[in-house]
Amino acid sequence: MSLVIAIPSKGRLQENAAAFFARAGLDIVQGRGARDYRGALDGMEDVEVAFLSAADIVAEVAAGRVHLGVTGEDLIREAIVDLPSKAELLAPLGFGQANVVVAVPRAWIDVKTMADLEDVAAAFRAKRGERMRVATKYVNLTRRFFAERHVSDYRIVESLGATEGAPAAGKAEIIVDITTTGATLAANGLKILDDGTILRSQANLVASLQAEWGAKVRERARIILSQIAAEEEARTTREVTAFLPNKSGGLLAEVKALFSAQLRIHSADGRLAFNCPKEKAPLLADWLIAKGAPHVCVAAQDYVFSAQNSLYEKLINRLPPFRA
Amino acid sequence: MPSVSDRAARAIAYLTRAGYRRCEPAILQPASIFFDSGEDLRAELYLTSDPSGADYCLRPEYTIPVLALYLGQETQRGQAAYSYCGPVFRFRPGASSEFIQAGIESFGRSDREAADAEILALAIRAAAAAQEKPLSAACLRVRTGDARLLARFLEALDLPPQWRRRLVRGLPKGKPLDAILSPRTNGGIRDHSGLLALIEGADKQGAHALVEDLLAIAGVSAAGGRSAAEIAERFLEQAALRSGAKFAAERRVLIERFLEIEAAPGDALKSLRALARDAGIDLSAALDQLEARFELIASDRLEGTEVRFAAAFTGALDYYTGFVFEAHHDGASALVAAGGRYDALAQALGSARPVPAVGAAIWLDNLGGAP
Repeated sequence: MSLVIAIPSKGRLQENAAAFFARAGLDIVQGRGARDYRGALDGMEDVEVAFLSAADIVAEVAAGRVHLGVTGEDLIREAIVDLPSKAELLAPLGFGQANVVVAVPRAWIDVKTMADLEDVAAAFRAKRGERMRVATKYVNLTRRFFAERHVSDYRIVESLGATEGAPAAGKAEIIVDITTTGATLAANGLKILDDGTILRSQANLVASLQAEWGAKVRERARIILSQIAAEEEARTTREVTAFLPNKSGGLLAEVKALFSAQLRIHSADGRLAFNCPKEKAPLLADWLIAKGAPHVCVAAQDYVFSAQNSLYEKLINRLPPFRA
Repeated sequence: MPSVSDRAARAIAYLTRAGYRRCEPAILQPASIFFDSGEDLRAELYLTSDPSGADYCLRPEYTIPVLALYLGQETQRGQAAYSYCGPVFRFRPGASSEFIQAGIESFGRSDREAADAEILALAIRAAAAAQEKPLSAACLRVRTGDARLLARFLEALDLPPQWRRRLVRGLPKGKPLDAILSPRTNGGIRDHSGLLALIEGADKQGAHALVEDLLAIAGVSAAGGRSAAEIAERFLEQAALRSGAKFAAERRVLIERFLEIEAAPGDALKSLRALARDAGIDLSAALDQLEARFELIASDRLEGTEVRFAAAFTGALDYYTGFVFEAHHDGASALVAAGGRYDALAQALGSARPVPAVGAAIWLDNLGGAP
């Protein structure tokens, strides 16, 4: 059985997802034509790539028909009712950022918070005998968020496109929608409530807990995830090497405390190599020179593989123990 | 141990013998009649639609369909007493979403306290009968409350209107007093607190006109279904809210004292009367009704059943308008029976006039775990 990875089939999400895998040295090759919906990872046996819409990816993950997927956290949290038993969010991917927000007409100068909205919604119902309408495609996220904030006098009107236009069209009073810059909302005369951000979403690498994870599939996942983790570790850190023959005893602990750097090599003749967060590397270099190192080299790296593979461990900890 | 269907048969037999005519609305109901009960219930519905696109659902409860049947009768005037027993369907994570309920509804009785007491006694006795137990052996604990008393109390306290609205809505939902009385202040760039401070205590009519004018300049006559006047009015209310936050100490103590009252009926009544006296407010009409209801409940002689009153308890559903109760087995948390008065629901379902209504449901699947 193959490991199946679902990635978005079109648009910027697809480009970003492909770039993400490519960065980790995992090139996605499409099937025979651009319209083929199955592909593979170049040079990797027993791995299948399924090209699906972002919403379908969520459904396939929940149903266990794919093992891994790349899709928006907003869709995952909206569409998977019992998330903890169905899927595990392995890692945010740094693209596809957007917020799910509560937005009301800008003219409502008296409404700035969810507490205001709660009051206005109740008054609205008391006066008209009808509940305030909320247009959204995020039915479950909205219900959960409104319930937590004790807003109950509302009614959801499902909207599957151009939600931001619903208030102007008279189809709803307020909306819950996704936004990146807020410009579309502003252009439609809407404003986001101060505490109305339901979710800060971005594309995530998500694992299905419902899929069959046989020995071969787990091994494929381990290799892919360690490559992804190694690339991320390399991208966010720098290798810092120095020669420091007469170092004091507490130096290594000090380096860790001051620069969050990990010691990687420590030879008897005084050679040291650290893996240091990218932004702290120059400071560490400067500090090592002050301690007596004649030269310090800071180098970018392609991969940093570790015996401890945090992404794979996150997955394996959620899977039932494997029985052959 | 008897099965749920045995218990159901005994419960409905008991209820019909008591003169409550059996009424079985269709399992497939128009979904819209449940939408006004709020998104919490709506999230639990099993929805479907027909080819024309009309929405239907499996009935999630009986009260609304039974009331709708009553209202739909040609000759629906006067009193009616119905019983029901059958499956209801609600999405319940971790439990079966189809379960059996029995219950009763009483419509049109103007002797409200007597109807309240009768519904309570009948629900309790039917729950015991369903288990083939004498009432004294069923060991039930009944917690009662009154949704109207809380509203009357807050009205009598003469709080600023916005505060009263927040309390009336927040307390039944279990929102802590602190969270209700200390609204989030925010220092965002669009914070209007400076302006509100200026308006506070100023000429109200002038301020109102100014805000309306500003909205008119922006071309706002009605926005999102709210008129400019409505927006202006509430904007100005926020100025009152700022000073109202200080209303507090002594009246807050009174509210806390009210909410803490939970005792046997006689003691609860004594505490409530003492509180009204200390606060210098007149609650006598509401408390006399409460006392009359307590006396009627006591005269029903529910042996082995402990009845208490909790001032903070106003029912789990927001359609309750008066008496509410819930019953548990001694030491158990599962609901055995629950109900209350819902005089405003008929109008929400389209009736031209209010219909006095009170009812209760028996959770037959929770009776099994009884000691």
